[in-house]
Amino acid sequence: MTTRLKQTDGQRKLRDVEIVMKTSMAGKSRRPISAEPGRPRARLAPLVALALLAGCDGRQSVLAPAGADARVLDSLFWVMLTGAVILWLLVNGLFFYVMRINRGAMSRRFADGLIIGGGVIFPTVVLGALLAWGLSIMPDQRAPGEGLTLRVTGEQWWWRVEYWPEGADTPIVAANEIRLPAGQRSEILLNAGRVIHSFWIPALGGKMDMFPGRETRMSLKPERAGNWRGQCAEFCGASHALMAFEVVAMPPDDFDSWLQAQAAPATPPGDAAAQRGARIFAREGCGACHAVRGTEARGAVGPDLTHVGSRLSLGAGTLGTTLEDFETWIAHTGAIKPEVEMPGYDHLTTADLADLAQYLKGLE
Amino acid sequence: MQDERQPRPDEERHEFREEAESLWRITLAPVAWVAHFVTSYGIVALVCAKAPGLLGMTRGGLGLATLLALAVIAWLGWRAWRQWDYRTTGDYTNARGEAEDRHQFLGHAAVLLALISAIGVVYGALPVLLLETCR
Ligand code: HEC
Ligand SMILES: [Cu+2]
Repeated sequence: MTTRLKQTDGQRKLRDVEIVMKTSMAGKSRRPISAEPGRPRARLAPLVALALLAGCDGRQSVLAPAGADARVLDSLFWVMLTGAVILWLLVNGLFFYVMRINRGAMSRRFADGLIIGGGVIFPTVVLGALLAWGLSIMPDQRAPGEGLTLRVTGEQWWWRVEYWPEGADTPIVAANEIRLPAGQRSEILLNAGRVIHSFWIPALGGKMDMFPGRETRMSLKPERAGNWRGQCAEFCGASHALMAFEVVAMPPDDFDSWLQAQAAPATPPGDAAAQRGARIFAREGCGACHAVRGTEARGAVGPDLTHVGSRLSLGAGTLGTTLEDFETWIAHTGAIKPEVEMPGYDHLTTADLADLAQYLKGLE
Repeated sequence: MQDERQPRPDEERHEFREEAESLWRITLAPVAWVAHFVTSYGIVALVCAKAPGLLGMTRGGLGLATLLALAVIAWLGWRAWRQWDYRTTGDYTNARGEAEDRHQFLGHAAVLLALISAIGVVYGALPVLLLETCR
């Protein structure tokens, strides 16, 4: 529950950024709407601050590691960066010394020693040591999982997700969200539909490409419960940048009950509006592309919607999950996500859209 | 009687052949490096795909291949060092274009190539020795 609250918060922040961006863009041709007129810098300041803050809140940052693998990469990064800075200072300091401070000729012996020692032996040893260190931590990055296996398929532009608990012979199907038990290493098998994608949760570990017809694997071990964001990291078409996902690590017991709930068929629509929504869903043929387990809808072209109401985002990390978000998504799909495979249903009446949203939101 | 200072009839041809050979020789150390790299890469890929159980043995074998490659490179390097003849001549560079200079320059180049090939072989062997699995 708390994670969900936090999430809506994050999403609101995201929308705020968009609004600020839109207003500031509009301000180029028209008068600025919100900020004081005539002071462009004052208008830009919040935008810059927000952009910086968005990078710092750690939801999608390799510099805020929350997984065992990300932590190793983080230390690798800092060691390399520190070493590079020291080397840079040494080399340039030496340049400065011989060109500005002590410009006298140096002895042949000293110069040879500097070239052979500093130019050949030192880099060879440093690179060799870095190579050995990198190689020694590489196998751990891909250690085998401890029970749960996820099978994730990159589609254009969303994620098909299957959970295979240990010993299961049918998967629990979900989409556009990765949930993991905290403190455990989960195995993740990666595939792709038509083009290459790349699966990346910066806070938890390194990235791994997903290929059509060739399975790759990785494993992740979140160190604590929390909520992060993943992103497709290989250009895959028009909406590549909008191919993200929410990541939730939960205490193992919570995870088990969540997974159990995901395995259940959809909850039947409750109130009258939701029931009307279910009928519209059937009438409009949404079930040709979407599955809602426990109903006639069995399509597999788009994400499984059985529990879409309990998700933290819509359209693979693109929108929030308010009723309004559902309506916007269904009516203006292509405007939100260019070239998306789902047609926009802008011919539906406002009342129909509201009912549909009520139905989908109720699929918890 | 033949004059001592007159070149023997086949001397020039002989010398030319030796230089041509030494031109070939400077490529041998990099060739050893390439052979080592391709062998390691190819065999590990093959074993991991077809028979992961044999990986331990493969790594041992490739360790020996590494030693062999390093021995070959060391031997080539030693011969090149002698050809360069830095110790006796003290010529670090050989700027003049006489036969002797060319001879020593090729030795110099071969020493450097042997050095970089040895580093290449060691770097190439590190993954084989440090990565214990096919993962
Ligand atoms: C032609 C196939 C197709 C039809 C028909 C279709 N959809 Fe979709 N739908 C998709 C695809 C593909 C996506 C994933 C889009 C993306 O995020 O890139 C999607 C995504 C969604 C999502 C977001 C799911 C998530 O996990 O984020 C909702 C909600 C949705 N569709 C509802 C509907 C409704 C309601 C209808 C009928 C009015 C409908 N869809 C008809 C293909 C379809
Ligand atoms: Cu992608």
